[in-house]
Amino acid sequence: MDDVVIAILRSGTPLVYVTLAGVIAQRAGIWHLGLEGLMITGACATVVGTVLTGSVATALSIAVLICVVGSILFWFVVEKLRANQIIAGLGLTGLGLGGTSLAIQSIFGSQAAISAPAGLPRIGAAFGAYGVLSVLVLLMPLAVFLCWLLLCRTRFGLRLSASGEHPFAARSVGVNPSAMRLAALVIGGVLCALAGAELAAGSLQIFSQNMTAGRGFMGFAAVIFGAGHPLWATLAALFFAVVGALGIRAQLVFGDRIPHDLLLGLPYIATVFGVWLSARLRGGAKAAAGGFGELRDN
Amino acid sequence: MKGNDSIILACRDVAVRYGDVVALDDVSISFQRGLIHAVVGQNGAGKTTFARVVSGLVRPQKGSVEIGGTRLAGGSVNDARQAGVELVHQSFALPPSFTVAEAMQFGASGGRLYTRGGLERRWQAHLDALDVRVSAQARIRTLTVEQQQAVEIARALVSDARLLILDEPTAVLSPEGASKLFERVRRLKERGVTVLLILHKIREVLAVADTVSVLRGGRLVDGPLSTSGMDGDRLASMIIGSSARALDGEDRAALTGAAVPHGETHAAAADRQPVARLRGVNTRPDEDGTALQAVDLTVGRGEIVGIAGVEGNGQRALVRAICGLAEVGAGSVELDGADVSRATLAERREAGLRVIPFERNAEGLSLTSPLWENWSAGRLLARPLLSAISPAGLRRDCKAALDAWDVRYAHVGQPAGSLSGGNAQKVILSREMDEAGRLVIAAQPTRGLDIGATAFVWEALRKARGRGCGVIFVSSDLDEIFDLADRVVVMLSGRIVAEFRPPFDLERVGAAMTGARA
Amino acid sequence: MSDSLAAIVRAILFIVLALAMCGVIFEFAGYSAPQMFQSIVDGAFLRRNALEHALRWALPLFITATGIVISFRAGYFNIGAQGQFYVGAICAAFVAEWLRGYPAAMVIPLCFAAGMTGGALWALWPGLLRLRSGADEVITTLMGNFLAGLLLVYVTAGPLKDPSGSGQQASSRPLEAAYRISASSGVSPTIIGIAALVGIAMWWLVNRTAFGVLSGLSGRNPTMVRWQGASTWKIGLASFLVSGALAGLAGTIELMGPNGRLAGGFLPAHGFTAVLIALVAGLSITGAAIVAFFFGGLASAALYLPVMAGLPSAAIDIINAAIALFITARSRFIDRVTKAWRRPWTTS
Repeated sequence: MDDVVIAILRSGTPLVYVTLAGVIAQRAGIWHLGLEGLMITGACATVVGTVLTGSVATALSIAVLICVVGSILFWFVVEKLRANQIIAGLGLTGLGLGGTSLAIQSIFGSQAAISAPAGLPRIGAAFGAYGVLSVLVLLMPLAVFLCWLLLCRTRFGLRLSASGEHPFAARSVGVNPSAMRLAALVIGGVLCALAGAELAAGSLQIFSQNMTAGRGFMGFAAVIFGAGHPLWATLAALFFAVVGALGIRAQLVFGDRIPHDLLLGLPYIATVFGVWLSARLRGGAKAAAGGFGELRDN
Repeated sequence: MKGNDSIILACRDVAVRYGDVVALDDVSISFQRGLIHAVVGQNGAGKTTFARVVSGLVRPQKGSVEIGGTRLAGGSVNDARQAGVELVHQSFALPPSFTVAEAMQFGASGGRLYTRGGLERRWQAHLDALDVRVSAQARIRTLTVEQQQAVEIARALVSDARLLILDEPTAVLSPEGASKLFERVRRLKERGVTVLLILHKIREVLAVADTVSVLRGGRLVDGPLSTSGMDGDRLASMIIGSSARALDGEDRAALTGAAVPHGETHAAAADRQPVARLRGVNTRPDEDGTALQAVDLTVGRGEIVGIAGVEGNGQRALVRAICGLAEVGAGSVELDGADVSRATLAERREAGLRVIPFERNAEGLSLTSPLWENWSAGRLLARPLLSAISPAGLRRDCKAALDAWDVRYAHVGQPAGSLSGGNAQKVILSREMDEAGRLVIAAQPTRGLDIGATAFVWEALRKARGRGCGVIFVSSDLDEIFDLADRVVVMLSGRIVAEFRPPFDLERVGAAMTGARA
Repeated sequence: MSDSLAAIVRAILFIVLALAMCGVIFEFAGYSAPQMFQSIVDGAFLRRNALEHALRWALPLFITATGIVISFRAGYFNIGAQGQFYVGAICAAFVAEWLRGYPAAMVIPLCFAAGMTGGALWALWPGLLRLRSGADEVITTLMGNFLAGLLLVYVTAGPLKDPSGSGQQASSRPLEAAYRISASSGVSPTIIGIAALVGIAMWWLVNRTAFGVLSGLSGRNPTMVRWQGASTWKIGLASFLVSGALAGLAGTIELMGPNGRLAGGFLPAHGFTAVLIALVAGLSITGAAIVAFFFGGLASAALYLPVMAGLPSAAIDIINAAIALFITARSRFIDRVTKAWRRPWTTS
């Protein structure tokens, strides 16, 4: 039982961090499809940084820095250049996936997986079997709480929500929605870096190409499923993680009798289900994505 | 340099341009402290832009704004609020999903972190002190229009505002609501707050304001003038100017709100054959939460029926029900005697239904699409989806129609969003007011239009009536309804609560709008 | 300057910006940007047979892109072309395998029918979810891509597995030679013919039918079109089905043409590239034909780079991604510059 919970926490923590990044962006009015790209950048930077500098802390800082820069670039393209959020987000993801591939090739000369000498610090033997979990897992509930506090109990959070929901109302009280979105994306960038770090260096300390496997998009879906609320979105993310863990478990139990790939597909199916369900619950009317830009009138 | 201490607001040579459009043209004006000032003008005269410049929302290209002697840095709302200026917007700046407490909080200063309970207590106290009967826990989207306005005003009064600007506050209120608002404004004056009201009805100005200033075409015509002994007709002339065509007495009165029109009785009211009939129609609640309840309505041939009522009392549901865009639970809808209750909107259009929707930009036009596409949409929908079309032919037809309706445009390929409001509405008219129409629903057709365009729309509707069409005319402006309609029906909470024939009495209709008399 | 010319200028400017950013990234990663760009241009357009290679990639991409143009114009962000492409190929492969031995004249059309149907079905379920329940099609079609990828791996390692396979990468048995519609070069009269037919048909659909005008209006303002009496259902459903079928057709062509067999994870960038083509072309069919050629060249360069120049093919992915990042951007500066030359909009 313990190892199931550990597996869920391991796979769920990166998903939760990236979901929180998505929630904050959503509140500010941004549909962030670049989460996947930022996450893999964070993962790569953490592992490669550890290999190159020998220090996980330095590598983590580099990962955060790169993700923040990427987020600022995204903000610039979407806010100042008014690009379509969805396409630009996919572009950002592509840059992350391609950029990490390029970096690996350039530094190590091959496309093979990179192994880091050290990973994130673990919680420690005092927690028994759970000691193998990384510190970021322990910090995850705190992150959720802080996110909730920020968005739902501070004036900053209200101003952020206003910037996303009713930018004119925000401007009428002197808030700059553009600046709010920048803040939201930068915070999100940090969270995505942490997500990537946990994914790569949280347990196995390996970076392989495309290791995010759509988790960034699942995080985005969790935001939709949770209607942009930090607590509900976190639960949705954990739900996806549970489904994923069950899939792997089922593989072990049922062996070859159920196709391996079908079980791997469970999280994606769960995501589709989640999006459908949340749309049903909200009456199905408002289907319009936030930023259609030139492809929509408004 | 404190200057004259009794001047609360001084603008010098303020100019604002949006691209090619001049919104304000070298406006210089000063207002005295402690009085109620009115700024009037027709739509497009620059009143809202003026209000936004003073409150810091818009930065003027030229000129300066001084509050109590201190010059404001243009374009900074924070700066203006520091100086004590607060603006209440025409369409409220309240995020719909926020609770009232949250809406008040996010504009306030002090206190970063809060608990839900503490927040609600703090703001409930403030609301109660201002005699606003709204619960701090309620969500903005559940409030009525009057309540939302009260919340907006309460929010503006959180900081000690010295100058409160209200942009077209009476546009959405019933006559009684407007009176209550003026009461509130008078009480604010007693407290020493200077109030600047953006209005466009003369009689409102004369009822509440101490001074009046007139804007026209972005310029200051005159002002501030004292309102005591002010001649309404002189004011009307200043507002309209000489450029608009000759208007008859009742129209002029309706357009400027100088006096309430009484409406004309048209002959042979009884033997009109109905063009449309609704019997006992019920619908499910709309997006704004109102549902029609047991609505009976008949519209005769060659008749304009005015639908009066405060916005949000079922007018949208009514229009959607007639169009077939709402889920009708019970009752029937007939067009020209045929039951269309199950018909789609496309089928109803075939049967002669035409609609000028509420929102010109969101529902009537696709702003980024070319004019000819906007104009042809209805025609194309009458054909099978895969039918071949000739864009050249459609463009020709569109051009002919737009020219016939005197639309100002350069070529039919330009996007609809590049037209002015009045011209855009003419495009919609050219599309909807064709010969084959039997019932025309005109929903707030003159909203946001200047006097010339408004008169044009009225003439078009009257011509349609003359052709034998039935017209359903929805408006929140009673002057307009009284001037145009042959019969006025009042809606309240999804029901039709009263019907009136000319001569119309403002008090009785106003009372029906708020349900004062059962 | 007409509006479309202004759009082209804008597209070119932003592509240049994207390439500049890529140059910075290449340098940062330790490669020489000039050398990288030179090799790409070499591989795409200058080497021997470069045009034929570019065409081989461009033709299927063009077909998929036309479907995406139709879907995006109608306002539906169907970014599941990759999945629909895969499912189309899978369905065609199954038919080719089951009917092994039957005359080509019978099998080939059936394969095409199966491929287009498969692609259409893979677009149908996200379409229904969106039209009936309002479920956002961006996520559902994206998930559909991942699921189709898994399905492909399963199929090539399971039901359609090549018994004589070397085991390196799962793939199906090669098709019978008679069923192939082109050699491995990927360019044949059949494929060119199909692409031309699709291009003409889709151009006609967009520019000369009621559907074309109405779906365009619906994409920009569905509320307005509903108030005119449109059934957004019909328009939406048609858009999803057509775009899915075309992606499936492209998948079938790739299978029966240059590839000759189904391989797990083949052409993983096809869908995204097709989306890019549609966007760079400004959602126009004729534009897509031209732009597809450009991206076809890039795709062929992706194979050239590692082999001939020792550079990573990820460079092409980065170029594509950078273009995606900027291509929908608008700049007031550029608008003002082009406005000076554009046809005036107002009389005053």
